[in-house]
Amino acid sequence: MLKVHSRCDLSCDHCYIYQHADQTWRGRPTRMPPATVQAAARRIAEHAREHELPVVHVVLHGGEPLLLGAAGLREVLAELRTAITPWARLDLRMQTNGVLLDDELCRLFVEYDVRVGVSFDGDRAANDRHRVFAHGGSSHDLVRRALALLRRPEHRASYAGILCTIDVRNDPDRVYEALLAESPPRVDLLLPHATWDHPPQRPGPEPTPYADWLGRLHRRWVDDGRPMSIRMFEALRPGGGGTEAFGLAPADVLVIEADGSWEQVDSLKTAYHGAAGTGFDVFDHSVDEVARHPGVAVRQDGVEGLCVTCRACPVVDRCGGGLYAHRWRTGSGFDNPSVYCADLLRLIDTVDAYPPPTPPASGEGSTTSPVDGLLDDLATGHGSASTLALLADTQLSITRALLAACRDGSGTTAAWELLVHLDQVAPEAVRAILAHPFVRPGLVHRLDSSAPPGLGAAADPLPAIAVAAALRAGVPAALHVPVRADRITLPTLGSLVLPGLGESAEVTVRPGEFQVRGGPVAQTVLLDPLAPPSTGWFPTRDVSVPGGRLLLEDGDPYRDCYGQPVESRLDGPAARALGRTLAAAWRVVHRDVPAHAAALDGGLRAVVPLAPDPARPLRSATARHAFGAVAVTPHADPETMAVLLVHEWQHAKLGAVLDLYDLVEPGQGLRIRVPWRPDPRPPEGVLQGVYAHLAVTQVWQSRAAATDHPDASAHAAHFLAWTRDGVDALLASRSLTATGERFAGQLRHALEETRVGSR
Amino acid sequence: MDHAPTRPSRPDLDDLTRSLHVPLERIAVEHADLIEAVRSRVVTNDSVPSGIVAVAAFNSSI
Ligand code: SF4
Ligand code: SF4
Repeated sequence: MLKVHSRCDLSCDHCYIYQHADQTWRGRPTRMPPATVQAAARRIAEHAREHELPVVHVVLHGGEPLLLGAAGLREVLAELRTAITPWARLDLRMQTNGVLLDDELCRLFVEYDVRVGVSFDGDRAANDRHRVFAHGGSSHDLVRRALALLRRPEHRASYAGILCTIDVRNDPDRVYEALLAESPPRVDLLLPHATWDHPPQRPGPEPTPYADWLGRLHRRWVDDGRPMSIRMFEALRPGGGGTEAFGLAPADVLVIEADGSWEQVDSLKTAYHGAAGTGFDVFDHSVDEVARHPGVAVRQDGVEGLCVTCRACPVVDRCGGGLYAHRWRTGSGFDNPSVYCADLLRLIDTVDAYPPPTPPASGEGSTTSPVDGLLDDLATGHGSASTLALLADTQLSITRALLAACRDGSGTTAAWELLVHLDQVAPEAVRAILAHPFVRPGLVHRLDSSAPPGLGAAADPLPAIAVAAALRAGVPAALHVPVRADRITLPTLGSLVLPGLGESAEVTVRPGEFQVRGGPVAQTVLLDPLAPPSTGWFPTRDVSVPGGRLLLEDGDPYRDCYGQPVESRLDGPAARALGRTLAAAWRVVHRDVPAHAAALDGGLRAVVPLAPDPARPLRSATARHAFGAVAVTPHADPETMAVLLVHEWQHAKLGAVLDLYDLVEPGQGLRIRVPWRPDPRPPEGVLQGVYAHLAVTQVWQSRAAATDHPDASAHAAHFLAWTRDGVDALLASRSLTATGERFAGQLRHALEETRVGSR
Repeated sequence: MDHAPTRPSRPDLDDLTRSLHVPLERIAVEHADLIEAVRSRVVTNDSVPSGIVAVAAFNSSI
């Protein structure tokens, strides 16, 4: 966080910079001098380079950063982009009171890709309770004007959201309506700063007025169908911990003051004079030196950095002890629960209780949120068709977000415009291509800035995606598509290999066929499977399975994401043999474990053959970025293949869950002994192992009961023991989040039922 | 200025579900935070500490 200007044009009475204990601002330069900006940018770049950080977040703050003016801000932004962008992706943000925002500034922020958050406390009465000029005049109209500017389509990309400090004397309904009227992408609600030395105002007799006030707002928001994102409520949901004020995410914010001194987060200023100081500055000290400062270090410690009360608190994984500054008390320092503890506890209850749970169709009543619902269902060991559909939808949304991020990086291209057009006229075709498991690996590769700039830059995957979608939709189009090693791959459809195509080829799509021209080469490819094969065209083969069509993916270059060599294109007989084995294996899964088969039907779309390795003939793998696919060594026995499919599909499902939730406590570096490997494993690996082995146990138990397989009972017992020991070791390790513990606990339960059910 | 900066958290289930119904063209504008969250969680995995399997063939890492 960069304090580029240390004064403010407003004079809010709740401002912790000017009104609270710390008065260090008095000794600071008004604006951050250019040499300090430069030194700060270099320190950040140095840190990004040394630690190979993929991304750095920089927030311009103040005082009021807009007081620098457009020219001053442009210098700061240019300095930051020039110094940092070669080393890491720079996410630039600004927090402002909005009073001075105008068209020119908005254009500047769009140009430099700065996302602007505006402080605004709600309706006029609420806002003007605190947010006024020194002469007492209202800022309400000026701030609303700023918000209207940011809402304009040409500026909207720079509109980050609203920061609203609450006051329980305001009317929560009116505040809610005023916020909603500004259609902010996101709202941050903040509790007023307070400490045990200076407790928050509690004007009435109620013990938890802040929880009551926020609970009212929460109810309105839920009733309205959650029309905007409110971070506080999202963060407080189970598994939702994600802001500094709640939850245990390590506080990774450092502040650079206008004079170049390094400080800890700002809100500490509310505690005591100089509370945030470290004694270090950007001229003489690196980020690493500051990070070793004891006050900063303790904040990286998660649960261990909290007081005894919080550590024992049942909702600590969601509350995280509240905002650090709110814990201050002279004498015990920060070793206390939040001064808002009672409110926080009650608010979490309120958020959990509303909307009231709909009575479950059967069984005993329980309060499950959608999060719990999804996880509970998967903790049965398999997961229903609707859960699988939800998981597949989230994966598709992630791929769409990645696509939009690629567009952010490359600007509008013909491929993007074609995709946007197809998304309107043939959304199903676009969906089918984006759901292909190897589209996401291509997008991630393209976006991954950890690859050194210029070196091995990934080809733009959008043109091939757009062409495949156009072909699928039967919509005529023409695009230039990058050629890699004489090859163009159209996801789901196949690869064209034509020597001499050059670096890029023009592809023209017509219904049922496409034409490619590059260098001296031209070729028309007919997609009709009954037409004579086109030279150089290798269509992706598929096989009919109970879940639909399963692709044998041996052509897409992005299938190489399994950390082990993939097989190159199979010849006709080998492909047919693998197809037969897979179809038969799928039927075996239906025979053995119908519940798992339903989950397989709901999501497995492609199988990648792995290269044979005589030392390890039976291998299979799943990749986090390729939901909907598994990789296997081609193996002729359907019974064996069925076990591999069930095992890998477990990993795929859990991988998709881990895109959404933290089940493992971050940053512990812990290793756990497991029965299935000689070396101790990280908790996430153990969780994956347990989840897969639970399913395999169920397969063998079913075989033991229904077939005369001689070793089925022994296998079942063996996998059952592995799973039980693994899950017990995991639970004993205390390395899971509360959400993770709940999940593992339910797996343990599913296991007991499995055991009871075994014969 | 006020308080802590706004930072994206993990991709949120509701956001993800809602964004599926937003035309491709408008996602960047209406779901800028989601894109940021997906970037940090999926592309760079900067929330994932060492010792956790980020992109992996799970079989070799369970
Ligand atoms: S609710 Fe209170 S005791 Fe529990 S974590 Fe939050 S501040 Fe600590
Ligand atoms: S606008 Fe922000 S920095 Fe300025 S006085 Fe108000 S709270 Fe303080």
